[in-house]
Amino acid sequence: MRIELSVNGNAIEVDVEPTTMLVDVLRDHVALTGPRVTCGVGLCGTCTVLLDGEPVSSCILMAPLALGKQITTIEGIPRDDEVVSCFDRQHAFQCGFCIPGMVLTAKNMVEHGTATSREQIREGLGGNLCRCGCYTKIVDAIEEAAR
Amino acid sequence: MSWQMPSTVDEALRLKADNPGATVIAGGTFLGILSGQGLLDNDEWISLQNISELKTLGTEGDLSVGAMVTHRRLELTPVVREDWPGLAQAFGVVASPRIRNVATIGGVLADADYASDPPSMLVASRAVAEVASVRGMRRVPIEDLIAGHYETTLADDELITRVVVPRPRGKGVYRKFRTRSREDRPTVAVAAAREDDRVRVVVGAVSDRPQHYADICAAWKPGDEDSAREIGAAYAEAIRCIGDGRGSAAYRRRVVGVEVRRVLMQVGP
Ligand SMILES: Cc1cc2nc3c(=O)[nH]c(=O)nc-3n(C[C@H](O)[C@H](O)[C@H](O)COP(=O)(O)OP(=O)(O)OC[C@H]3O[C@@H](n4cnc5c(N)ncnc54)[C@H](O)[C@@H]3O)c2cc1C
Ligand code: FES
Ligand code: FES
Repeated sequence: MRIELSVNGNAIEVDVEPTTMLVDVLRDHVALTGPRVTCGVGLCGTCTVLLDGEPVSSCILMAPLALGKQITTIEGIPRDDEVVSCFDRQHAFQCGFCIPGMVLTAKNMVEHGTATSREQIREGLGGNLCRCGCYTKIVDAIEEAAR
Repeated sequence: MSWQMPSTVDEALRLKADNPGATVIAGGTFLGILSGQGLLDNDEWISLQNISELKTLGTEGDLSVGAMVTHRRLELTPVVREDWPGLAQAFGVVASPRIRNVATIGGVLADADYASDPPSMLVASRAVAEVASVRGMRRVPIEDLIAGHYETTLADDELITRVVVPRPRGKGVYRKFRTRSREDRPTVAVAAAREDDRVRVVVGAVSDRPQHYADICAAWKPGDEDSAREIGAAYAEAIRCIGDGRGSAAYRRRVVGVEVRRVLMQVGP
């Protein structure tokens, strides 16, 4: 089916099967490789994108379900974004594989005012896994961004 | 493959009646996994995504939740948190915010996974589902909707359109006991809804469907630790627990006793 999606502010038309996952549309049709598949079952958060500003797992979201919504990937976040700068300053990454998902989740928490304590930040990141184990620094970065 | 997006309930019911084999999709979190893993052999979809009447949330009198209302909305809507705190709690501990932003109340009930959080709290709260088809509408208490492992009493042409949750007559508490990670499903789910000096305790995730024993609950003395312990022991005795990757049957039985006691102390005195 032909669908028109709004990705990082641009209208994109793609021809896909209804069961094509949004992450595959973004990577294979739109060449946005920030969202990436690790678990493929909604658990780990490396495929996180924002739908109308809210984080979702794009690895289990069938593409037509994103019709009419604003999709934001890490590529749609400006380089000088405050949350991104805090990750930089705190050196809150090693390989960086999980970071797009971490940053998008963090942005949503900071915007909603749900990053007011380390405990709350840890709770909010419950579904984002970092294989390099950078959690302490990631929490530092989000704490700084929320100040 | 076809993907239909009706914009009214009537239109959706007609499509479903004409093609009972088509798969209804709500948030798609459960179906997304099945499809992604190649476990679904289906190419006709009826998506509820454009039906705005299914997204309404009424909070005057009883809580009236359209089938497409997400877990996240129930978790965060201030009136729900204030007046139905046990319910907001049960929806708020499902998976991660990413799943709660998408998963719907209709989806979790129709899915009937034994290890879901909301069903026990909904049963404890005497919630009733409105189930519709071209043949008409019927009201089904949640305990009669969920029949067993991934099994409901919905007919092929029926949809859940709404879930009505009465205004609580006392404290409601949901306790999720996890044995693995933060975003995992429950090993033992315990919900309690107080109704004046009585209580409804429901235990989920330990067998094929939520378990409630009115006769055991009838012995409850609010605030009394011994009474809470006895009821916990009676629930542990009564339920035939299953074992799975989250815990063995024997382990679950132990935990049921403890968690039922704890929830009763939380809703008492
Ligand atoms: C990573 C992950 C972790 C999870 N962890 C938890 C957890 O900790 N606790 C928990 O409770 N749940 C958990 N879940 C399950 C999740 O809550 C369910 O997948 C979700 O509630 C299903 O809702 P949905 O709207 O996405 O349903 P869908 O996937 O769209 O549909 C599910 C089923 O319901 C049917 N259906 C949907 N809406 C209707 C309707 N209105 N009428 C009739 N049939 C309908 C569909 O045909 C399908 O069979 C988890 C899921 C994932 C992916
Ligand atoms: S790849 Fe989507 S959540 Fe893990
Ligand atoms: S920085 Fe390597 S996975 Fe997180």
